[in-house]
Amino acid sequence: MAVTDHSEGARQARTRSGRDWSDLVSRWSFMLPAAIILAAVLAYPILYTFQISFASLDLATFTATEWVGFENYREILGDRGFWNSMKVTGIYLAWALPIQMILGFGIAYLINVEWKGRSAVRALFLIPMVVAPVVAGGIWRMMLDPLWGMVNWFLGLLGLGNPDWLGDPNLAMATIVIIDTWRWTPFVILIATAALMALPKDVFEAADIDGANWWTKLWSITIPLLVPIIAATFVVRWLGAVKMFDIVLASTRGGPGDATNVVNLYIYEQAFRSLRFAESAAMAVVVLVLTMILTGLFLIGTRRLERSY
Amino acid sequence: MKITLQVSGIAIAAVMAGPAAVWAQGLGAEGSPVEITMIANEAFANQWQEQMVPEFQKVYPHINVVIDGVPYTELLAKSMLDATGPDPVYDIIIADDPWTPQLAQTGVLLDLKGEQVAGWTAPEFEWDDFYAAPLAASEWQGVQYGVPLRSNLLLMFVNKSLYEKAGLPAPTPELTWEQFFEQAPQLVQDTNGDGKVDAWAVDTYFLRDPLTPTIWQTIMNSNGGALLGEDGKAAFNNETGVAALETHKRLLEFAPPGAVSHGFNESLQAFRQGQVATMFTWGSVFKGTAVDPATTTLTPEQVGIQVMPVGSASAGAHRGIWSGVINNKSENAEAAWALLQWLSSKEGEAWQSNTLGVFPARRSTLDSTPESEWMAPVFEALKQGYEVAEQGQMWRPRTPKSDAVQQVLADEVSRALSGQIAAQEALDTAASRIDRLLD
Repeated sequence: MAVTDHSEGARQARTRSGRDWSDLVSRWSFMLPAAIILAAVLAYPILYTFQISFASLDLATFTATEWVGFENYREILGDRGFWNSMKVTGIYLAWALPIQMILGFGIAYLINVEWKGRSAVRALFLIPMVVAPVVAGGIWRMMLDPLWGMVNWFLGLLGLGNPDWLGDPNLAMATIVIIDTWRWTPFVILIATAALMALPKDVFEAADIDGANWWTKLWSITIPLLVPIIAATFVVRWLGAVKMFDIVLASTRGGPGDATNVVNLYIYEQAFRSLRFAESAAMAVVVLVLTMILTGLFLIGTRRLERSY
Repeated sequence: MKITLQVSGIAIAAVMAGPAAVWAQGLGAEGSPVEITMIANEAFANQWQEQMVPEFQKVYPHINVVIDGVPYTELLAKSMLDATGPDPVYDIIIADDPWTPQLAQTGVLLDLKGEQVAGWTAPEFEWDDFYAAPLAASEWQGVQYGVPLRSNLLLMFVNKSLYEKAGLPAPTPELTWEQFFEQAPQLVQDTNGDGKVDAWAVDTYFLRDPLTPTIWQTIMNSNGGALLGEDGKAAFNNETGVAALETHKRLLEFAPPGAVSHGFNESLQAFRQGQVATMFTWGSVFKGTAVDPATTTLTPEQVGIQVMPVGSASAGAHRGIWSGVINNKSENAEAAWALLQWLSSKEGEAWQSNTLGVFPARRSTLDSTPESEWMAPVFEALKQGYEVAEQGQMWRPRTPKSDAVQQVLADEVSRALSGQIAAQEALDTAASRIDRLLD
């Protein structure tokens, strides 16, 4: 009997093991096509970028010909333009992200009341996001032109002078932030609105019973409950903003001087205009690594914030 | 005209035909046409496909031509990538002025004066008929890789009406930079009497763009300066270079508000709307600026065209030539050369000039009377422009790293024009970056 039990157990184990194996095969057979495509379209370009960043590139064959170690990295360390573009990108991010987050959540909070047509207004918010960035940059460039633009014509009616939005090095960065904010604040508003609508109503009703005023409810209930969403939205926007390229290309082309020459534009120019592909690959790797480190830090910060609330 | 063209074309074809077998393989035959492909700037690729190709096929009915238009910013990289591949798609590349050295360095271009092509070239083609400056655009290290197909020069456009309103005589090609700046304050004017300035003296390239330094370069060249010295190192960070950059910057004092962010499109728009008295830009826009009412408010009588003002050495004119080159791996090299040869022949050039308004590069064409009256002053400006460009070597750097050099100049010239740094510092920085690049 014991022998029978044992052999029955072994048979069951073999059957289970066969089932597990078959399950594994069937799972992977579904995943494999996607995994291969992902590897081809994501991993290969990244690995190729790494490879040519450590090599000299033969323009006659477009292949990495000679391993040069960190030579390309040493080259970019001494490239004033690259470090300036990193600084410019930092300035842009430091202004654009907080403004978009504050405006986005602020507007969402203010419009988060029941009123007729709210859905239509929310749909209208999508318009800036679906306009191609190059088109947005071009249209803003026309609107802000001191000679023909309607913005300065309007400011002139109010006696507010004729600012050179795209020609003044300081104002040009502000202009980029304005265009980017116009384009991306609605995205933050949409997420924030959805988050606000999902907040538990009973907590607010309890606060009302306790006599809490709107400020107390905002500071002590709404914001703490929204912290995970705020943090997640910030990370999503950060990853989008760090790729800033097309709006700058269409509106200022990185100028005047190098006032708005963000790092992606600089890398593009070095690669496709100057044909310095190896050095550009090294720059791209530096930017990728820095972005990953900062994103990691933001994610850690997000988790801590979530825990503290 | 068409009959003459066809007869001449057939004559060229007959001379080139040689043995019947070569004709059948190289230039196609009834029932077995040859197809050649070309990569070109999207700005004119469509015009060529729709108008030039049918005209060409009147002469070579068995050669089909497919032209792919690519945005300018991607054209060089795509051309290089394709040309250097094992099985290139394009038989012909239409290369911008500074690109021949880069393409030639990769060893993919056919020598158009070599033995093989010479056998396909009609005797009446006459290489010597081309002005030296446009032909030199597609020459590199003593080898002729291309022919000029769409020639261009940076020239000075003049709104004669605004000069007249300011009480000034219309400028002539003898105008010096000193005279230009003497007259400039009067050209910043209120033309409709409402008390507000509505017309300015000048507009041109000021924004951060690889073509912006060409204005500074032309001013420098016309004062005897050079971009690179005999040793191939930067030779512009000196008194002449700095003075030229300050001259370029001084133009902003007489330009419309916001001009520091103006480039090709904005300056063209300002001039066509009658808001600026002069514009330094590519001559090829003349038709759309002076003739075509769909694109301009001005008329041919109002618009003058001439070389840029005279410096201490000569007048100014910066070269910008689109040349046709052939991939030496092309299996249809003979047919490709038939197209380039026809398009740059006396007949083809005259057809292109009269029908499409494209600027010629041949002496015979420029000495002829154009069919359109408005072309006559353009021809005069081009003839003088080619001479001064040749004399002052007024072109972008002739090196395989030309675009990289031009990008460095764009960065630093823009910093100087926007007032971020002084002209001397900008040129010193550019010189040091360029020397490192070319080392």
